[in-house]
Amino acid sequence: MGGVVSMAKKVRYIRGTGIEKLDMKQEDHTLDRHKGIEHYKDILYQCGKCGTCRTVYQDINWARVCPSGEFGQFEAYYLGGKNLLTWGLTKNKLKWTDNLARIFYECSLCLACTQQCQIPELHTYAGEWLMAMREEAVRAGFGPMPEQKQYTKYVEELHNPYGEKHESRQDWFPSDAFQSPNAKLAYFVGCTSSYREKEIAISTVRILNTLGIEFKILENESCCGSPVYMTGQVDYARKIAEDNVEMFKNSGVEKIITSCAGCYRALKDIYPKKFGIKHGVEILHLPEFILSNLKNGTIKFKQNVNMKITYHDPCHIGRHMGIYKEPRAVLEEIPGIELVEMNRNKHNAWCCGSGGGVRSAFKDLSEFAARERIEEAKDTDASAIVSSCPFCLNQFKTNIKNDEIKAYDISQLIEKAIK
Amino acid sequence: MGEINMINSEIVNELGKVVGEKYVSDQPEITFLYHYDFITAEPEGICDIVIMPNSAEEVQEIVKIANNHKIPIIPWVSGINFGSTATPIKGGIVVDLRRLNRIIEVNEDDMYALVEGGTTWADLQGYLQKYHSDLRAGVTYSPPGTGVVASCLCYGMFDLGMLGGTGAEFINGLEVVLGSGELVKVGSCCLSDYWYGRQPLPDLAGLFIGWEGSTGIVTKAAIKLWPELPYRKYYFVLGKTIDVGVPVMLKLSKVGLGICDLVIINYGWLQSFMGANEKKVPKDPIEKKLPDFAGSITTQAYTQKQHEAQCEAIEAIFKEGGLFEPQGVGSEDLLGTLPIHFWSCWNFSRGGGGQWIGSYCSTRDIAKFYAIAREKALKYGHTPQFYSRILFGGHYCVARTNINFNKDDPKEIESARQVLKEIHEEVQSIDGVVMYKAPPWAHEVYEEKTLPATTELIRKIKKLLDPNMIMNPGHGWGS
Repeated sequence: MGGVVSMAKKVRYIRGTGIEKLDMKQEDHTLDRHKGIEHYKDILYQCGKCGTCRTVYQDINWARVCPSGEFGQFEAYYLGGKNLLTWGLTKNKLKWTDNLARIFYECSLCLACTQQCQIPELHTYAGEWLMAMREEAVRAGFGPMPEQKQYTKYVEELHNPYGEKHESRQDWFPSDAFQSPNAKLAYFVGCTSSYREKEIAISTVRILNTLGIEFKILENESCCGSPVYMTGQVDYARKIAEDNVEMFKNSGVEKIITSCAGCYRALKDIYPKKFGIKHGVEILHLPEFILSNLKNGTIKFKQNVNMKITYHDPCHIGRHMGIYKEPRAVLEEIPGIELVEMNRNKHNAWCCGSGGGVRSAFKDLSEFAARERIEEAKDTDASAIVSSCPFCLNQFKTNIKNDEIKAYDISQLIEKAIK
Repeated sequence: MGEINMINSEIVNELGKVVGEKYVSDQPEITFLYHYDFITAEPEGICDIVIMPNSAEEVQEIVKIANNHKIPIIPWVSGINFGSTATPIKGGIVVDLRRLNRIIEVNEDDMYALVEGGTTWADLQGYLQKYHSDLRAGVTYSPPGTGVVASCLCYGMFDLGMLGGTGAEFINGLEVVLGSGELVKVGSCCLSDYWYGRQPLPDLAGLFIGWEGSTGIVTKAAIKLWPELPYRKYYFVLGKTIDVGVPVMLKLSKVGLGICDLVIINYGWLQSFMGANEKKVPKDPIEKKLPDFAGSITTQAYTQKQHEAQCEAIEAIFKEGGLFEPQGVGSEDLLGTLPIHFWSCWNFSRGGGGQWIGSYCSTRDIAKFYAIAREKALKYGHTPQFYSRILFGGHYCVARTNINFNKDDPKEIESARQVLKEIHEEVQSIDGVVMYKAPPWAHEVYEEKTLPATTELIRKIKKLLDPNMIMNPGHGWGS
């Protein structure tokens, strides 16, 4: 029974749930990430569309987990369906069509599905071919979606996907705030905080000023490229990455803090691992930075922020980067904060429905996902849903009706606590 | 396009008026996922149209349209089983029931859940965890995304099998759209709002159980639930061979002791449960002097004293029979979290393809069945995989053997077909071995063996319920 014993050691059993959770160590094929479909063709067909990808099993109160599938309903919209459509394409049983491309784009790439799948290689790599299919769709002339082409055009012309003027990117900067032109630390604001959720940028700047931390905002800050990359337009996304890294080098920064989940993942993960651009700049998400300063005593929360809140894990920070503890640890340190969890949280969190180009191209799906999450937040009796991503915040604020619950970014609560 | 050439955009439009155009499709990227099960070695079928109704009335309308055009209709929940019974082998309309997944009622007095036809085990488990944590449904060895009702209708079985028998025996009543389009109810629900059972009426549930969707589409079913007792223990025991272990398990099946589940598996199946890659574990454990028998014994009790007494007796029996509890298999981790929906084996040891000869038979023939399966699997270079569950207080059992294969490799698929048919042919030498969720070629064998008058009765029933023979053609008895 040696084999059984050794396998048992590689599987973590979750007490009381009746379900084992794969520790991602059972990979028989250890493959590179960020590759094309061909690289994964020998594992795609392991999928038997068993449906395990549809439901959260690792905790009590099993619940559906895939916004794309629950909205689209047909098998094609779940991970199992997408796995086998990809297989069908590689075996020439299917060919690229507008409809096939649409199926792959009608998904926020939140990867909640992969967390549920317990087939080792699919659990570990399915996200790679979901992304590779988008790249393939672009090459074949079927992607991205028209709305995504439009925002990409804005990025090309104006350096942001919102069609806003580049020169007004820092208009939000408070007149009484200050930055240090020679600082080695940069605050990478990102497009959504610069143009839509300016409170996040303002709060972040005020936090840094209050703490006396010298920083600067890059003079010519532009889109990080995440919305372009996520829609499979890798060639242009690579160009954006190269331009940004050149800017980092020219500005002399050694460390970057960002309050945006998408920018964080792009700078920290996509630039070096997908594009092979080693920029050597330390990248920190704001909660990571705050937590390290809480630990070394640089930061002390003084103000009581009386509020019962629930935390929404942004996909780019959570499942894509594995950061679950840090934002919670920061929130729990704030006096007066009562943090309660939604039924689906951490790696099982239900996506807000804004990422992966979904909000621009598939508004119905996007709204469906957001409403589901808002209802789940309300079930906790929290007075506010808090996230650490400007896109999530914008999504919640757009879809919350009649002030049914408040929505904040973590930076706003931190600012209140350190005043 | 399937055998029926009338399918066209007009029919899609007609169906779209019933369910809304979002929920019907003939686009190849959508229908591709319904054209076969993507797991077995059975031939692929053709899905012309897929549709997702949201009520029994919509199902009725769909069936009427299919009758008008004489188009095959295939009920579908997750489309996965080892007999390929939801593959549209003659083309037609696949009716994906996933929108019919509501849990309508949980009756705590009579302990049943009234669910819609497309409810999955995950849906039911989630609901019970949230609202009725003192009740439990059976836990299958299939993935949680599979259908509750489909499983019960096709004689699936659970971890409560020693108490209640197969899933079919868990069914209290059904609401069904017949192949003719009429809506019927069977069981106490046909004359009451209570779905407590099928007694004492004529048991018409038998018109739909074991027919593989060839007589009607079940839109609602009441499924028995069981109390969650406070004391429960899982034993995982090993023995040298299946021959050694089976008599002990059979003895345990006949002594009460609060035993609610008895499972026998061999080394190959155990490895599969654990998610091991078939190519990386010993094919023949006996040759390597590894234990080839593993048993799972579950007992439950209401009081601690009762529980301790039961456990003491169970341990005495398996020790006396030469079985032992292994050290270091993570019993704390594994057994403390049972029951588990074992989806690990659904990667089919990494080749993505698997099919079984899954049969019901007399408990006296468990070891005989395994011996045949083992010999044939090894002959063709497959890891022997065997599983048996003793059911309903030891009155009968299920015996199954799996053959895994690489579904990306046509030669392996062909080889799997060969070995499966050989095993099936050979186990027919054991009296009373009958496959469930059987593929069409197995049904042909049974129809030849069945009394002619019985076969004729089956055909008459089928014709009565499905006059145009449109329900899941090619599958099930009487097709």
